[in-house]
Amino acid sequence: MGHLIGKEYIQDHIVEVAKSVVLAIHKAPQITGKTEIETEILWGKDLEPILAVMEPVAAAVRYAQWDYETIKRCYEKGESPVIIIIGAKLNVSNLGWNCGACGFNTCKEFNAYAKTVSGGQLGGPCCNWKLLDCAIACDWACAAAWHYKIDNRIMGSVSFALGALNYMPDANVKLGLTMGPARDMVYYNREEMHKVMTYEMDKMDLIRSVPTMFTGFPGGGNPMYKTKDDWWAPPEFLNIEYSEEMMQALDKILYEQIPEVLVKYSPQVEARYKKKK
Amino acid sequence: MNKYIEDLNFEGEEFMSDWTFWSPQDIRRKKGVLAAARLMINAAMTAPIAGGVPSLEVHLVYGQAELEAIARKMEEIAHTNKNWEEPFLYEAVMARDSDVIILLGNTRCHETPLDACCGMCGGTLDCGYFYEKKKHKYGLVDISDRSSPRMIDGPLCSARVDDLGYAVGSAVWMAYTLMVDARPFASIGMAGKKLGYCPNSGMVVGVPVAAKPKNPYVDVNVDYHLINMDKVLDNTRKIYQTARVLRGFDYRKWIPKRQKAGKEEE
Repeated sequence: MGHLIGKEYIQDHIVEVAKSVVLAIHKAPQITGKTEIETEILWGKDLEPILAVMEPVAAAVRYAQWDYETIKRCYEKGESPVIIIIGAKLNVSNLGWNCGACGFNTCKEFNAYAKTVSGGQLGGPCCNWKLLDCAIACDWACAAAWHYKIDNRIMGSVSFALGALNYMPDANVKLGLTMGPARDMVYYNREEMHKVMTYEMDKMDLIRSVPTMFTGFPGGGNPMYKTKDDWWAPPEFLNIEYSEEMMQALDKILYEQIPEVLVKYSPQVEARYKKKK
Repeated sequence: MNKYIEDLNFEGEEFMSDWTFWSPQDIRRKKGVLAAARLMINAAMTAPIAGGVPSLEVHLVYGQAELEAIARKMEEIAHTNKNWEEPFLYEAVMARDSDVIILLGNTRCHETPLDACCGMCGGTLDCGYFYEKKKHKYGLVDISDRSSPRMIDGPLCSARVDDLGYAVGSAVWMAYTLMVDARPFASIGMAGKKLGYCPNSGMVVGVPVAAKPKNPYVDVNVDYHLINMDKVLDNTRKIYQTARVLRGFDYRKWIPKRQKAGKEEE
């Protein structure tokens, strides 16, 4: 006998579903059979360090803004998304295939090179075949979440934050799968983002991203751009130049704002792994 | 204007069996796997992809000669690397034992990268690792030099390779859902690429598919390239025929009988 009311347990149950998704990640077929996949699940208050890293990035990068705002707003409403970390150590090839996909002739050269670099936004470098194993696992995670009918999305923005905070320290690539809350349209047609984007902002993003769409007669060699209704008066032209302002903004995020966040949150992340050892 | 004519002839019967190989009943069975493979390709097409950019191409290969050609190319590749020799030879047997082979390739990983400065390819803070090792002009990669002796002409954009993995994952997920056996193979992918399948791709993964009483891709014995169902059957033909040749009697007049207790054979 029993009586359950959906809204009373639904939020907790997403974590249970995430545990089932993790089973699919570890069951995912591999090409090499030699890639060790690691998984972790985070939700609720444990999203705060991730949001803190994403915040300054969101101010400059649109897709990061979208992810940050969506996750933050859901969390603040008490409908915390659940993040599954899917990671692996891909910067050592134990295959000996010498296939050339990484850009080196031999795995040995790749392994020697990999020791000299610390990793980019999403980690790296990667043995491409091992990366395929990791990607298949990520796809199985998405498919499993989809199977349980939980809206989900693999997010580069979250992955960057996971890397910066050094979650899953033994893995050099860690991708974040964000899932839930349990309703239609969280990460596609994002309701959380309603009224955030102005018409002007959307239009300018498109003009910058797909300029040929807005190009006037190109015969003159320096065409006018149709950025407004009366685009011919006064005309506007496209200019490409180094932007000190943009570079300073990015440097500030990378070398000032994020390190500040890391000073605050890294010890608690690090402590988790120390405890586990 | 052609009028749609509905075929209402809905009656018939189809006999299906995996025995004997390539018999009408086996080919009918294979057609079911072909249908499943087509759905697997649909699933691969809907896999999540960085930036939603179309970058997947697929070859669906079936038929005795077609599968044999892939298996032979795999055997050729197997002997180019000590680490490949045994596993790739085993997998060549699996390719022959498949009903259908799907080859999934990413058309952008070597030529039109994501350009997101993610660093997964080389562990740097930008796309420099990829571009510095490629012949390119202002980011337009020149892939016209096709003389590379490597199996795969890297480096590749890891974000695109990641996308290829998602496509492979979704294809295999669909196979599991449809209860057909399938596994992703590097060997089949490399052989398919060398044979010219997925011609626009920088990296190809092979997914053989089968619906047989025994999953062809698991539980193999040692020296699988020498001892497998094809070889066992062929050896049976060899041995049993010879065993027959050594005997001769006119069965219409006399057949040797088992000796009854205490009695000598007449």
